[in-house]
Amino acid sequence: MGDGNSASGNNRSNNNNSNKPEWLQQYDLIGKIGEGTYGLVFLARIKSATNRGKSIAIKKFKQSKDGDGVSPTAIREIMLLREITHENVVKLVNVHINHADMSLYLAFDYAEHDLYEIIRHHRDKVSNPINQYTVKSLLWQLLNGLNYLHSNWIIHRDLKPSNILVMGEGEEHGVVKIADFGLARIYQAPLKPLSENGVVVTIWYRAPELLLGAKHYTSAVDMWAVGCIFAELLTLKPLFQGAEVKATPNPFQLDQLDKIFKVLGHPTLEKWPTLAYLPHWQSDLQHIQGHKYDNTSLCNVVHLPPKSPAYDLLSKMLEYDPRKRITAAQALEHEYFKMEPQPGRNALVPCQPGEKIVNYPTRPVDSTIDFEGTTNLQPSQQVSSGNAVSGGMPGGHLSNRSVPRPMNVVGMQRMPPMQHYNLASQAGMGGGMNSGISMPRGVAQAHQQQQLRRKDGGMMLSGYPPQQKSRRN
Amino acid sequence: MATNFWTSSHYKQLVEPEEVDMVNPLDKEKGITLEDFKLIKMHMANCISKLAQHVKVRQRVVATAVTYMRRVYTRKSMAEYDPRLVAPTCLYLASKAEESTVQARLLVFYIKKSYTDDKYRFEIKDILEMEMKILEALNYYLVVFHPYRSLSQLLQDAGLSDINMTQLTWGLINDTYKMDLILVHPPHLIALACIYIASVLREKDTTAWFEELRVDMNVVKNISMEILDFYEGNRMISDERINAALNKLSSSVLYIKVHLLVSFQGHALV
Repeated sequence: MGDGNSASGNNRSNNNNSNKPEWLQQYDLIGKIGEGTYGLVFLARIKSATNRGKSIAIKKFKQSKDGDGVSPTAIREIMLLREITHENVVKLVNVHINHADMSLYLAFDYAEHDLYEIIRHHRDKVSNPINQYTVKSLLWQLLNGLNYLHSNWIIHRDLKPSNILVMGEGEEHGVVKIADFGLARIYQAPLKPLSENGVVVTIWYRAPELLLGAKHYTSAVDMWAVGCIFAELLTLKPLFQGAEVKATPNPFQLDQLDKIFKVLGHPTLEKWPTLAYLPHWQSDLQHIQGHKYDNTSLCNVVHLPPKSPAYDLLSKMLEYDPRKRITAAQALEHEYFKMEPQPGRNALVPCQPGEKIVNYPTRPVDSTIDFEGTTNLQPSQQVSSGNAVSGGMPGGHLSNRSVPRPMNVVGMQRMPPMQHYNLASQAGMGGGMNSGISMPRGVAQAHQQQQLRRKDGGMMLSGYPPQQKSRRN
Repeated sequence: MATNFWTSSHYKQLVEPEEVDMVNPLDKEKGITLEDFKLIKMHMANCISKLAQHVKVRQRVVATAVTYMRRVYTRKSMAEYDPRLVAPTCLYLASKAEESTVQARLLVFYIKKSYTDDKYRFEIKDILEMEMKILEALNYYLVVFHPYRSLSQLLQDAGLSDINMTQLTWGLINDTYKMDLILVHPPHLIALACIYIASVLREKDTTAWFEELRVDMNVVKNISMEILDFYEGNRMISDERINAALNKLSSSVLYIKVHLLVSFQGHALV
């Protein structure tokens, strides 16, 4: 694609002195920053004179083992990202193919932060709410990007804090980028529920109509997710933390619905007339309709005065009836964004003097991993935090969350030579590493988490109780 | 953009008819003429359509696949990108892009079933390798707009949305994929040309309706003429003619020599 075309159009992946395909030599690989069922995400820097040192996130898609070629997720992500350009949407800068091992690489502008990390930092490290300017700016930019997508008939379908990236220091510092378009769709034709395609996504941000078995997606599902994210930015806690039932492809998630009803009260046919047609509302009278909650109050949960514009906007995003739910375009015009503090381009640095600037941790980088995903036991490169740009760190949530960084890899080097880093974590980190070998605590933790992720094919969110996993394919 | 045609990669990639009709030098060496080139592409469009019936995918997937195939040959030679492999692979890729993924092994199975010729023998591995080459050749632009999308709306607007007219125009649009129109013209103009032909055939007076549309009627009429010329010119295409064209691709130097000899003799006779 673009200028990458000449570089990517070659089959010569085996050069004399290195295993790198030619196109890859235009980057300096820094290390691995994320991992998912689709493959790995790497941080790299551009070598060429133009843009030298610019950070790039490279998402490597593995060839699926069942002989079905390039994953449909990768195809859809490329397809959409090739058509869209917006300041608040992650930028795909290049696509590369390595014909030798049939792997596909997507290169994005790198984003140092994401909402998952920002929220976690406030909750676990600074024990301080996110300041109002930052919340408002993040939300406004998220809505701005979403409005662009929706006006182009694209539904994201998997909005959650880890998919909302924020640029680190640099020209675009504090700019929001919506990422991970693997599940996004153009909805020129009615879309089938994800569950029918065998896709599993986290349920905490899922709209009630989907939980109740609505057959088709509308852009309103994204707005529900934005409402959940807004509340989470305010309280630092997921708004509706339901426990997921994974056994069946059934979209019906009783616990998740229960969590919603507890806060918002029961939906009623007066307020949401089409509720009557939703399969699970009809079929499960006993469970859903039977259990009534009184004295529900969203404003108490999010600690907002019921008459505040913030509360008004939030409650309009969490409107049960998808047809009445506020749209991204309407939300951008809401009074909340017109009052002080007004939203700004750099969400992380308020303009007002005297405001304390929060130093968010940079993304941990595992510099022992090469592009093949195998452990490289060469002396590690020290990761510099400068020039953090941003990126399609689509699986932001998949990185080693609990490591403050820079990630010290001394411990890794002491490990017996292992073919795969993963074995390393299996082998020794459980007890051994924590008990005295010179490895930072976070590293061992992180690898254990990867271990867990690996088992259930999804991921483990470090900040939450163990049963609250979310996963996606 | 995904729904605005005018800002889409599809619109930006529209080409002049002359660019579509350029036979790659490598193919020329093999004796492929412009007529052969068009015939092979038409034949492959038909193959995609037949294969799609076996694996049961919608017409939109077929249309996208044919568009991919035609785009590939504006940039790549048939000598290097064997149409017999490119065609099913385009269907494979389009099925993913249009959200109705077909398994590669299923395609391989039906290809083997439908074509006994050894030259159609491909394995799953071949399709997967070609998929990546096609992605590259398409420069990763995968969103395609089709005339079908605007058709029903236009017919309704023209007051022609009865089943008869709908079927006729739909069929005409299907046939436009046997040509390169989708690479050259915006899809809504192709739809209008098909409506124009259908209304002439069914003797419906649409003059006033067309006049009210803010489109260049000359372009619509030109597209209509192209479609009619195509029907006229392709009434009598035999399998032998197509096979002869295809054989040029796979044949060895010997064939080229024979071809040269023939053309040489031709000159000699004159």
